[in-house]
Amino acid sequence: MSALSNLLIPAVLFFALGFIARVIKSDLRLPQDLAKMLSIYLLIAIGLHGGYELGKADLGMALNAVLWAVILGFTLPLIGYALLLVTRRVDRMNAAAIAAHYGSVSAGTFLTAIAYLDSAGIDYESYPVIMLAVMESPAIIVGLLLAAWSRRQLAGTNNEGTNGTVDGDNGAGRWKTLAHEALTNGSVVLLLGSMVIGAISAPGSMEKLSPFIDEIFMGVLCLFLFEMGMEAARRIREFRKVGAVLVAFGLVMPLIGGAVGIAVGHWVLDMSVGGTTLVAVLGASASYIAVPPAMRLAVPEANPSFYLTLALGITFPFNVVIGIPLYHSVATQVAG
Amino acid sequence: MHKLAPEKLITIIATDVLEDRLIAIARKRGASGYTIQRARGGGSSGEQSGMLEIDTNITFHVVVPPDRLSGILDDLQVLISKRHHLTVFVSDVSVLRPEKFAEPLA
Repeated sequence: MSALSNLLIPAVLFFALGFIARVIKSDLRLPQDLAKMLSIYLLIAIGLHGGYELGKADLGMALNAVLWAVILGFTLPLIGYALLLVTRRVDRMNAAAIAAHYGSVSAGTFLTAIAYLDSAGIDYESYPVIMLAVMESPAIIVGLLLAAWSRRQLAGTNNEGTNGTVDGDNGAGRWKTLAHEALTNGSVVLLLGSMVIGAISAPGSMEKLSPFIDEIFMGVLCLFLFEMGMEAARRIREFRKVGAVLVAFGLVMPLIGGAVGIAVGHWVLDMSVGGTTLVAVLGASASYIAVPPAMRLAVPEANPSFYLTLALGITFPFNVVIGIPLYHSVATQVAG
Repeated sequence: MHKLAPEKLITIIATDVLEDRLIAIARKRGASGYTIQRARGGGSSGEQSGMLEIDTNITFHVVVPPDRLSGILDDLQVLISKRHHLTVFVSDVSVLRPEKFAEPLA
């Protein structure tokens, strides 16, 4: 595909339309719970579809993919955290919260990549879908560990201790709540649950669902990306507050994650060009669904407008417009 | 004339992820009930559009007898000291049927 036709997919064009609608200050308003409903549908559809495919796939390969999803989920936030501390633009708590977003994944970006591969007629494995489900949680846990560690460092260096309860209420109970939070997150439950249903359902019964999970899928994705385009444009206006250095992080970090993803997808998991592209997208994308509430609850010291602007306003549009074609072309060079 | 009794109305504006904590505080401190509304707005944490799950605020209302006020405020102070972003204000209100507010939630 030429560079232009990369972008001429309805889903990406609707993203652009949403973005433009916000930039030109259109009075267009979408119903409040639309994005939530659409993302529930998208997670169920991708889960059913992926689960059905995985039911027929090789179990050893699937477990290997899960293992590497966990490794990616734990490693990427550490890279992000180190990089953020080097920039010296944010304190440790903000660095921990932002880094967690970059270890987790964005289902919206992943689905856009699927739309991209589908429209180009490129095949891909089903394993990345289970990686998508698995990668939601580890980064949250790493983010919380980094935050707890940073909190201890800060309490150590600054002994006047503005508050005695820096480390939170009864440690064990708090960690239990947060681990529960990370593992039972709504999107994780929905995605994993749908995958199980897809995997164990009788094949004939899945065919009846085809209009629901296949035929309307791309249309719903268009609607979802339309709304996300509006939200991205809303967020990008705050980039001045975030500053050029952090914006640069929002562009560089997906490239690092994408490169790591390509390496894992091609050399470790031995996937096709399509599969490798999807793993790259998993590495490159930043969560804006599962991680923000967890960070709000557990790392209140961090400023939400930093991590939301970066994940939703900078990295998400970057990946949709530039990242996906880029990762695909590198994957083609490496694996093709 | 109706007979009105003085009570305290505590209004809290916070991110909706704190909802469970606020409910727990209200229950623990003997509130008779609470009301939650979705809210939109802007402030130090950026704009809360209410369009996505990640940027939805709530307003949390609870009416208590004056002697139960400070317990709730103590717990809210703990949340604030952990750097949660809360807006809290207390108003004097008059209610019909004060006995309704005297009975703690089960």
